[in-house]
Amino acid sequence: MIPADGSLGFELVRLRRVVTSPIVARFRLRPGERALVAPGEAVVRGAPLVERIREPRTGVVDGPAGAEPGAWWVAPPGRRRSAVGAASGELLFRSGGRWRIGVGDPAEPLEAPFGGIVREVVPGSGLTVETPARALLGADVLTGSSIGRLHRIGPGDGQIRASEIDVGVAGMILVVGSHIDAEAITRARALGVRGIVVGGLGVKERREVLASERRGQAGVHGLPPFAVLVLDGAIGRPIATPVLDVLDALEGRLVGIVEDPACLVIDDPDVELPTPRADLVRIAAGPLAGAEGTWEGLAGPHRFAGGVALEAGLVRLGNRPAVPVPLGDLERFI
Amino acid sequence: MTPAPNVLAIVDAGRATTSVGLLARVGDQWRLLGSLAAPAGTSEEDLLAVLAARALRAGEGLAAQAELVPGALDAMPRLSARSRAPRTLLILAASRRAAGDLSAVALRTGWRVEVASTESHDPREMSELVLRRDVGAVLIGAGDPAGPDERSALDDLAALGGAAARRRPELHVLLGGAIRGRRAWFDALGEDPPGDPARFHEVPAARRAETRVREALERLLDDPADGRQRLGATAETLADLLDRRVELVEVGFEGGTRVIAEPGVAGGDPSSEAIVTAEGALVPPEPNEETVDSVLAWTTGSLDRHRMGDRLRDLRGRPWVDATGDGARLRLAAASAALARIAALTPELSRQPTPDVTVVAGGAFATAPPAAIALAVADTIRRPGVSQLAWDHARLLGPIGTIEDPAERGALLRDLLSDALVPLGSVVVTGGLGARRPGRVRDRSRAGRFELSVGGSSTSRDLAVGELAFIDLVPGARAEARIAFSEPVRFGRRMRHVTVAVTGGLAGLILDLRDVPLRLPERRDRRRTLLADWSAQAWPRDER
Repeated sequence: MIPADGSLGFELVRLRRVVTSPIVARFRLRPGERALVAPGEAVVRGAPLVERIREPRTGVVDGPAGAEPGAWWVAPPGRRRSAVGAASGELLFRSGGRWRIGVGDPAEPLEAPFGGIVREVVPGSGLTVETPARALLGADVLTGSSIGRLHRIGPGDGQIRASEIDVGVAGMILVVGSHIDAEAITRARALGVRGIVVGGLGVKERREVLASERRGQAGVHGLPPFAVLVLDGAIGRPIATPVLDVLDALEGRLVGIVEDPACLVIDDPDVELPTPRADLVRIAAGPLAGAEGTWEGLAGPHRFAGGVALEAGLVRLGNRPAVPVPLGDLERFI
Repeated sequence: MTPAPNVLAIVDAGRATTSVGLLARVGDQWRLLGSLAAPAGTSEEDLLAVLAARALRAGEGLAAQAELVPGALDAMPRLSARSRAPRTLLILAASRRAAGDLSAVALRTGWRVEVASTESHDPREMSELVLRRDVGAVLIGAGDPAGPDERSALDDLAALGGAAARRRPELHVLLGGAIRGRRAWFDALGEDPPGDPARFHEVPAARRAETRVREALERLLDDPADGRQRLGATAETLADLLDRRVELVEVGFEGGTRVIAEPGVAGGDPSSEAIVTAEGALVPPEPNEETVDSVLAWTTGSLDRHRMGDRLRDLRGRPWVDATGDGARLRLAAASAALARIAALTPELSRQPTPDVTVVAGGAFATAPPAAIALAVADTIRRPGVSQLAWDHARLLGPIGTIEDPAERGALLRDLLSDALVPLGSVVVTGGLGARRPGRVRDRSRAGRFELSVGGSSTSRDLAVGELAFIDLVPGARAEARIAFSEPVRFGRRMRHVTVAVTGGLAGLILDLRDVPLRLPERRDRRRTLLADWSAQAWPRDER
């Protein structure tokens, strides 16, 4: 029997995994930063993982001739510090009889945003921690990792302004909707918010947030951890319902944001997370961007705006007749 | 004895999308029944199932019917090409000048290139770069003998490279020029360096032997299943089959290609010159200001830089999304910028005579209107002369290139020529006429007279300086174009009367009297007006 197109084609719609498990998170280590854990070690949430540094630079020390690059060097006791003021650092390479080392001023240590097992530590590069916890996947993360209680302050398709963020949300990770401007993020940071979850963040806002973060971290007292989890991309679009449902289920619970992979870690096995409807499709771009409906089957090649002929799927939005949408613009959820 | 298969699936698994073409034997010839593409990660089987179902519905009596029913699809033979995740090459040099020399060579390869020199980075920063896990190889180079600006830093550089090689046993290390013999390198590497000894490669100084450095870098990326790398082989086969000089330009998600192939002479094998470059990617991984400007230069819309940055970032993140309306135009502007980058990296290919056939390939063009594709090529890959344009619409050429045996490759391509390559038309480009005066987009200074003879009938028209015209000429139609210029123009050589054979296509005949190279006004409003005037002819009227 020849199957009709209506029974085929749903598999051609891009599958977006909302929640995944387990997670192997990677944390960056710069030369001069020291891992405080070893492979195989179990860590709990909040445990220090890495001794971060500010103003990283190169130091020159005598060091032992037979040492391996990457090893941690500590100045012998009783001797004066070298010209660069380094009491310790990471050995980089030896040239002209002296070692170049990576050094910097001590900064706030990196704390584990979830509990797990340290799998790998590579000095100067990174360390990985594995956890059986679940994670809500995003597109990317700015400014590192963080921990906090999740709190939604806006609708999934709206934009939050700076004036809507008050001191009552200090210490929390805020779900702010489809878009947020740099001013609101800066204010949130200043009020002690630990993280932002947003649908999209433009390149201008990214640049401003990163510049502000660099300035803050360069300060003598540093700043507490803060992270921005971007769920979709640069253009602000409503947060998909299956994602919003998961975020709603996590309201008030402690979660962590990690950078690699970009995700929100749910280190709480008791919380029950909703599963997305199997026939739900979301339109990710075009004039109907953000709309969600049900899959009605393949429409075949279809001519769209711009004189472009694309493979299309039929999507029913509410009670209206099904409309053809380019297959590439659709996503389904698991 | 197993009977010869009557169906074949051709799969091009790119980094952005997966394309599947379904072939069947019709008579004694392979024909393309259909093709379908979907975001990367979609299974080939699902794509194939849809194609097979359509073929069965459309082709009653097809000899291959039994091989297209759902249960039989798993057994269908496949010809597959895939793109691997791109790798990063880090160039370390003892001076900015040396780093620039090496970078110029490395950019003409499939590597993503990052550059650091002792003049621009301190040792800790260089160590951080070399320890990054996405860095697959490091090229440590210097002049041979080292220049006066390099000598003081050579030992530090050699020691840093040796230490990195000890810390990363999987890292490929290419040592160039005066670095090779430095004692600091051997001291840092130690007597028993970890990893495979074959990962250390010696290359000459970049200024002396650019080709050898490039070949050494390309060898590290060599992958017989990579469709992009095999496009050179396909172009050679195509040149041999058509007995024509063939140029192939390709823009994909992670890189681009430019190949010029010539048919074999006096029974000899065909030959080609090819550049595969990561710089030819539709959008680089982290689009910066330069990327934004390069795409804005080809757009007619009114996006500001931030908004364009957002669009490009999303195009990079989800390249299969938003391919209609403004998104289609943005995509083609990005493809034009990529073609311009490829052209800038391949001046030696641009200097060659105009090829008889120009083939456009790659996922960047997969969804664009044919005339807009032809315009993008005419805008960027410019030489005076006439060339027939064809489009690899089903992305078959890369996978066909993975067939090792040239005879087998030729047999399959011969069968598929008319199905795999959609004729876009012919493009006639002249140089030396000058450009339209800035601000006068309707300038009608008479440049000559054009006459097109198709069959027994002919049409003629006046030509204007700097004009771009799309003239209807249906696919398959052969015609003769005669142009009488009022003053000599460059058309291979300087001449006033040009008579050339042209063939039709979906875009027709493109008569391009704009300057070579294309000079666009610096002022953005004038540039946009000019681009809009040209693109109005290439894009469907209702979307202007």
